[in-house]
Amino acid sequence: MKKILSMLLSLTLLAGFIFAGDITMSGSTTVFPIAQLAAERYMDKHPDVNISVRGGGSGVGISDIILGRVNIGNASRQIKNKETKQAKENGINVVETVVANDGIAIVVNPSNGINKLTLEQVKKIFAGEVSNWKQLGGASMPIVVISRDVSSGTFEVFKELVLKGGKVREDALLLASNNAVASNVAETPGAIGYVGFGFLSDKVKALEIEGVVPNEKTVNDGTYKISRKLYMYTNGAPKGEIKAFIDYILSSEGQEIVKETGYIPLK
Amino acid sequence: MKKLGNLLSLLLLAVMIFTNISAIESKVSMELWNRYTVDLNGTDITKSYFSLERGYLGIEPTFSDKMKGRFTLDFFSTDKFEEGVGIKLKYAYMDFAMPVSDMSLQAGLIKTYFGTIYDWTYATIQKSFDDKEKIVSSADYGVSVNGLIPAGFGEYAFSLYNGEGYSKAGGDIDANPAFAFNLRVIPLTGITLGGSVLYEDHSLLVDADSTVSDTVRMVYTGVGRVAFGPIDIIAQYAAKDMDGSLGAGFMVMPVIKINKLVSALDMELVGRYDSYDKNTDADETNDSYGRIVAGFNWNLFKNPDDGKPMVFVQTNWERTMYEDTTKDATDNVAIQLRYLFSGKM
Repeated sequence: MKKILSMLLSLTLLAGFIFAGDITMSGSTTVFPIAQLAAERYMDKHPDVNISVRGGGSGVGISDIILGRVNIGNASRQIKNKETKQAKENGINVVETVVANDGIAIVVNPSNGINKLTLEQVKKIFAGEVSNWKQLGGASMPIVVISRDVSSGTFEVFKELVLKGGKVREDALLLASNNAVASNVAETPGAIGYVGFGFLSDKVKALEIEGVVPNEKTVNDGTYKISRKLYMYTNGAPKGEIKAFIDYILSSEGQEIVKETGYIPLK
Repeated sequence: MKKLGNLLSLLLLAVMIFTNISAIESKVSMELWNRYTVDLNGTDITKSYFSLERGYLGIEPTFSDKMKGRFTLDFFSTDKFEEGVGIKLKYAYMDFAMPVSDMSLQAGLIKTYFGTIYDWTYATIQKSFDDKEKIVSSADYGVSVNGLIPAGFGEYAFSLYNGEGYSKAGGDIDANPAFAFNLRVIPLTGITLGGSVLYEDHSLLVDADSTVSDTVRMVYTGVGRVAFGPIDIIAQYAAKDMDGSLGAGFMVMPVIKINKLVSALDMELVGRYDSYDKNTDADETNDSYGRIVAGFNWNLFKNPDDGKPMVFVQTNWERTMYEDTTKDATDNVAIQLRYLFSGKM
């Protein structure tokens, strides 16, 4: 028995030694640009540290942290009760750190004459109850609905705040990342989609919702309703290099990266 | 064979119907367990055979955020029928979200929310302790209200079942329903404590003069789990009081997750000890036994989205030792390939 315990202890120490200085992250494609740029800048300052960042969606990030597969699980939605239970059962004490604020912009192709919609109209479009831009005062053009897959935290937030639990129409194009949604909307004249603020560019047009322009100011003052926080989840309170990295993101330099990537820094 | 053909035709029809209902999103899944088993008595091989132990075909329609269903058939190798294959209806229920957060009502052929049987992941090839010792059946017809305790502190279920299990129907079902309650709490991260009780009493619904079954059954269990780093230990005590005759026993199952020590080696080492006495009130019956299981699970492929194993190999050695000294210990070695896949319609 002693031999077995010694062997286990040795393996644990060996594993700890092998992976010292490495940080692994996965999850939300919304948080990905912040995590990626912060990792690059942090590694420039600390050449002995290796940080790997993978996407996959918020569901993947949270699942990976529950299963102990990564050091940091990135998410654009809050962890669910069911997931917290699974984590606790597995001996994982999930700790949440808010790293940025974000809005979800409803985007259309720049050639689309529509500039504003109400939340109810957006809901009807995604549910399939409105299928042509003409019904909303635009040109006669079929609406192409682009949404995110079910692993997406952005989808979860959109479903909660806009669809109010309703379904996305059957023939919607479901894509795996914010970037893919933005690209497809940019290339499809009749398309509508939704992305985190970090994916806004002049290739897509962000619509006013309920007469409110989506930007940092309207998210911070609460007038733009489709907003959320961005999270990094760890097993226990961050320690060592993981703590140093998260502290870096929360620092003024890290929050500049948040701004640089198009998101909203914490106040 | 005709019956099998009819069943398969019905299944195909069901799949086609689901495919053509545009308002419904359905997940279709298949899970197969191919096993090679060697049974030994001493050093003598008494049996060695390949088999398909499970072939779960599942359809899970989602009607809305608040309504979903589950339908699962189990295809398996058997010599009971000339076709060499059997089919069992395993689950067939609807799940309705309740107005209270994280609470739902299930109705139909549902899981038996008891002990370890309802979330047993088969870390050993052997069934859960309460399933193996026939404390309860793994599924039964009935209704259940299930919920989560806030902040991830656990779960609960109040259920009403036929009480006879999923394989019994029609004339095999008596008039008595079985009432069950299950509770799991996680007071500290990595420590889970739980217990369940299932009670069935003829006198609750049937006249005292009735000639129908007068079974009084009380089964109960306590479950504990400790998960810390690579170590995961599950322990269970379970007892079955049937008309005053008490059977009882326990199980301890430690699992070492090697992948948490060496990430490149995605394996688990599993050990298990069971002890069960079918009738604790009568020492002379010599009907208690112990069971040792040792083995490993090797994950060959995990779902990149949720990290759950999709293709893996299990190898178990199992020894059963009997209190009855006239019976020799028996051994069993099994290698099992489990794989699952799914898609959406």
